[in-house]
Amino acid sequence: MGRLFAVEIVYRGIFQKNLAKNISRGIVLAAKHDGKIGISFGRYGDSPERNGIPAKSFAIIATDEETLQEGMAKYEPKETDISISVDDTLCKGVESWAWYGLQPINRLLKPGGTLIVTTMQDADTIIGMAHRKDFPYQLALLRGIPSFSGLWVYKDDHTDVRILGAIAKVLPELLSLNAVELAIKEEWHDDLKVKSARKSFERVEMRVVGPSEGNPETPYSFELPKWQEMREGVTIPGIPAGKAMTDPQTQQAGGFRPDRNPTFKKFSTRTMRPVVDFDTCVKCTLCWLQCPDSCFDVTPDALYDANMEACCGCGICEAVCPVEHCITMVNETAFADNASQWEAWRKDKTGYQTWLQDKITHLPPREHGFRIRGQYAEEIKDLVKVGVVDTGDEKISEQVVTDPHESGAG
Amino acid sequence: MMADAVETLPTQQLEAFKGVKKVPLEEYFTSGHRTCQGCESALVMKLMVKAAGPRTIVLGSTGCMYVANTTYYSTSWVVPWMHTQLGSSGSAGLGTAAALKALMRKGKMKEEPINVIAFCGDGGGADMGLSAISATLTHPQYNVLILLYDNESYANTDIQASGMTPYGAHTTFSPPGKVKRIMHTRWKKNVAGMLAAGHPESKYIGTVCASYAVEMMNRVRKALTIGGPTFIHSLDPCPKGWDYDPMLSHELGELAVNCGIWPLYDVENHRLRLYGRTKALAEKRARRQPVRDFLVRQGRFAHLTADDIDYFQAKIDEMWDKWLLPGVLPIWKDLEVDNPPAS
Amino acid sequence: MAKVIEKAQQEKEALISGSEAIAVACKLADVDVITAYPIRPYDTVMQYVAKLVANGELDCEYIVAESEHSQFEIVKHASAVGARVFCGSSGVGWMYAFEALTVTPALRIPMVAMVGNRALDDPGAFGVEHNDALAVRDLGWQLVWVDSAQEALDTALIAYRVAEDRRVFLPCAIACDGAFLTHSQSMVKIPPQEWVNAFLPPYNRGDLQLHPDNPITIAPQVNEDWLMELRKHNDEAMKRSRDVVIPEAYRDFERIFNRSYGNPFFEEYQTADADVVLVGMGTLSMPVKVAIRQMRKEGKKVGFVRLRWFRPFPAEQLAKTLSRFGAIGVIDRDFSFGAPYVSGVVATEIRAALYPVDKRPPLLDFISGLGGREVTVPDVRRMSDMLFAARAGTPQPLTTWVGVRE
Repeated sequence: MGRLFAVEIVYRGIFQKNLAKNISRGIVLAAKHDGKIGISFGRYGDSPERNGIPAKSFAIIATDEETLQEGMAKYEPKETDISISVDDTLCKGVESWAWYGLQPINRLLKPGGTLIVTTMQDADTIIGMAHRKDFPYQLALLRGIPSFSGLWVYKDDHTDVRILGAIAKVLPELLSLNAVELAIKEEWHDDLKVKSARKSFERVEMRVVGPSEGNPETPYSFELPKWQEMREGVTIPGIPAGKAMTDPQTQQAGGFRPDRNPTFKKFSTRTMRPVVDFDTCVKCTLCWLQCPDSCFDVTPDALYDANMEACCGCGICEAVCPVEHCITMVNETAFADNASQWEAWRKDKTGYQTWLQDKITHLPPREHGFRIRGQYAEEIKDLVKVGVVDTGDEKISEQVVTDPHESGAG
Repeated sequence: MMADAVETLPTQQLEAFKGVKKVPLEEYFTSGHRTCQGCESALVMKLMVKAAGPRTIVLGSTGCMYVANTTYYSTSWVVPWMHTQLGSSGSAGLGTAAALKALMRKGKMKEEPINVIAFCGDGGGADMGLSAISATLTHPQYNVLILLYDNESYANTDIQASGMTPYGAHTTFSPPGKVKRIMHTRWKKNVAGMLAAGHPESKYIGTVCASYAVEMMNRVRKALTIGGPTFIHSLDPCPKGWDYDPMLSHELGELAVNCGIWPLYDVENHRLRLYGRTKALAEKRARRQPVRDFLVRQGRFAHLTADDIDYFQAKIDEMWDKWLLPGVLPIWKDLEVDNPPAS
Repeated sequence: MAKVIEKAQQEKEALISGSEAIAVACKLADVDVITAYPIRPYDTVMQYVAKLVANGELDCEYIVAESEHSQFEIVKHASAVGARVFCGSSGVGWMYAFEALTVTPALRIPMVAMVGNRALDDPGAFGVEHNDALAVRDLGWQLVWVDSAQEALDTALIAYRVAEDRRVFLPCAIACDGAFLTHSQSMVKIPPQEWVNAFLPPYNRGDLQLHPDNPITIAPQVNEDWLMELRKHNDEAMKRSRDVVIPEAYRDFERIFNRSYGNPFFEEYQTADADVVLVGMGTLSMPVKVAIRQMRKEGKKVGFVRLRWFRPFPAEQLAKTLSRFGAIGVIDRDFSFGAPYVSGVVATEIRAALYPVDKRPPLLDFISGLGGREVTVPDVRRMSDMLFAARAGTPQPLTTWVGVRE
């Protein structure tokens, strides 16, 4: 029997859809040059994708056709040789919109497998976010701000080929660098992309993560009931009405906290979270009223506290807030828990201000999605300047996606 | 005056919220739905039932607000909610209202006014379900509100063009290609205007945009209070299908109104009223923004040329300058008189 | 339940059609919401319902829908709120409602509907074929065929009782042959209201009722983790209907109405000593019975089994009964192009039912009476002759079109 390889690409729905597809297709096309065959597919349950909600693509590669059959007609492989997190905030855990419970980013990784992460954070920060495994695995870091595009406008910052170069480094039995280069030429006809892949092959940083390292928490999970335990008529109970909150300092009751869906919390959708300066809040209600996810608890003192289990990080609250710097969206990597900001502020207002300033200055800043024409071309110029995209050339692009299978084609 | 033969049930008397601070804190559509970041339609759901209150039944036809909101074993609805088929929002609302009426009249259910709201997306409402909605709006004896949340494509299934997709927009059924830049050459249906023009028994038909939340909620309350079959059409910016940073949802709703693309109006007891920013635009107290401001912020229009944008602008100008009722009735003001030939 | 029949409560007789008989059942069942849309031949029931409503004999919401799809969706939702509902259609109208028909059993909606069996388009034809009702046979609809106006009325009451039983909560369609039942009036005994009240409890949707006092979410989207379990619910409900609820309902019906249908699932006619047997559904029973009596005078012992309940299908009982005979002839008033042995639907199902039985007599299928063509006594005699030949060991075609010009 031959050998079967499984690679998963965990990505942000819509924003990285074209990127993930480019990577999983690129793996299959490159493997062909090494005499292997494979398939590329998105996790069916993630489709239809939602903006920001974690999703997965897979490349299954085999040395021969019969071995490949072991990896076919499945929604996802049972284990992976490589898991790729094209957004570092996904390392906190993944709740796809069709799953129940939070799944560690490295859940499918087999012993000795590699987790590849695109990030500007250091290895310790990434390891601290990822859940512990009971065996060692390898972490590979690829320097870069996670690449987010519009669905119809692709930001071609070479993240796709850089990932392919990194794979050739961490698992040469799967792809040789030569095969990656040939596939890039064939698919994209772009020598600069070849160069980017080679650079990332040289630069990818690797270290082993031991069983004692990582987030020790057991993520919340969900047991599927038997048919006899499920209600008839395809019915489920509604969510109970919420109730007033209690101030932990004064025991004063007031405001309102809605009850929330207990089986889908949505926070793993977040790449940024709002931090609130309660001292400058004018209680205009707009963040609370305009939040599509009803994530704001109304406190007894009539402030609005974004519940971090429910907040998906859309940023509308910041956009509608009339007070400058009252609500600021901050890169999710700056946070280690989902604790209430309002409770922290109630306990220690001075300490909260210090915390707030520290968070607001956390780098790099994040943003998501298409904002205006020409934006990506500008952003890529900046990436070239700081050397993340190392083409030494301004021939860089922002492209209307004309065919999902050709996205990025030059 | 209502004909004697038309038997109606009383409705809940829902007063307009007098300002944002008077909006109740309770949520009846809560967290934990699986919509996109910045989903304006999810906001519409939240505001819709916040306005309606707890004694409400909601029926939802297939679409994003079905698939993403209520993935099995989990829900974000506090009020009773039931799925209905893609083209069935009108029928679902009608059947629910009819059952309540029959059961209460026959003493099989406690008498009380219960709001019935059936919602549909643009595919379910303006395409497939138009016939059933039209039928429901002809039944004066049933209290039911149909709310169309229009995100201008079949966004749930993968962003395919609908009868409500604007001219030129990139969808998976209308990709810009090497030969055809513009695949979608249709202009959006004018649903609220069409329904208002054709359904004299409906006492309330209007358009809303959730960027103007209090005005939107008060229109829901008006429609539920006035009774009979009513209809509201909401334009919902869609970060997924329109392709923009989810943070901009609110701003794009405002832009749609301020560029004159989405006129806000309602028809209450046969009286047309422009409201909010649209009223200011109509009275020339505010200037319409160029549609370019709206278009260039969305990836779905990224392939449009300057000429395409000019065409879009010309169509909007035509709506404002030539239509008998701007945004409502696409019949031009200058009437043609068919004079018989002189004998 | 005490025996309710008292002398003061007498059944009245009326000259009504099968459609009208079902409308009378709706009145007796105090149905709450009814939706109508025109298509021949079923719509005669709605014309009569409309009269009952106009005359104040039936207190219900009577809604004229704008299509069959809406017609079935409206009552589906009304039933979810707790209303007893009635609906119906024919031919391509039933097919236009197909999406609604699909979700109705999935949602455990105990709707009762009448199908006035009609040939499917194209070309347009008014006459009876059973393909319309049979199209839903895999979906969780209970399907029952009747052959008289009396049976139509009685079966409609039984249908409500079975469908609305909490152990079942599945819709039930009463199939009536177009023209022969829908448009032909005969004397029907109409039971007094008290008997019906004793037989048919109020519809109680319980914890599945959509109401602000019971805030549930109904039919959220599922993925592959859930649907098998939900399908299993319906599978179990259908089995409970067959094994427990239908037999219970017929026993109570007999006790209260003093009218027996024998085996609820199928009627046996002159089968006790029969050498060969014919099987069919609906009004073709009439020419078959006439032919059997003729042939018996000639010494040919032919019996007849009229299948009532096609869903749930009484496979074990039917197989046991049919395996007694020397040959079985199924008369299919339907087609299933390209089906095994190019047989009709009923023959294919009966063949499947017989598979686990040790003694499997030869089974011949006769496609007959399509598009409303009469099934005639000579047709039935020809079928019977083939059965005797098969019994004697002379090979016969497995499927024969009887009554087609050739």
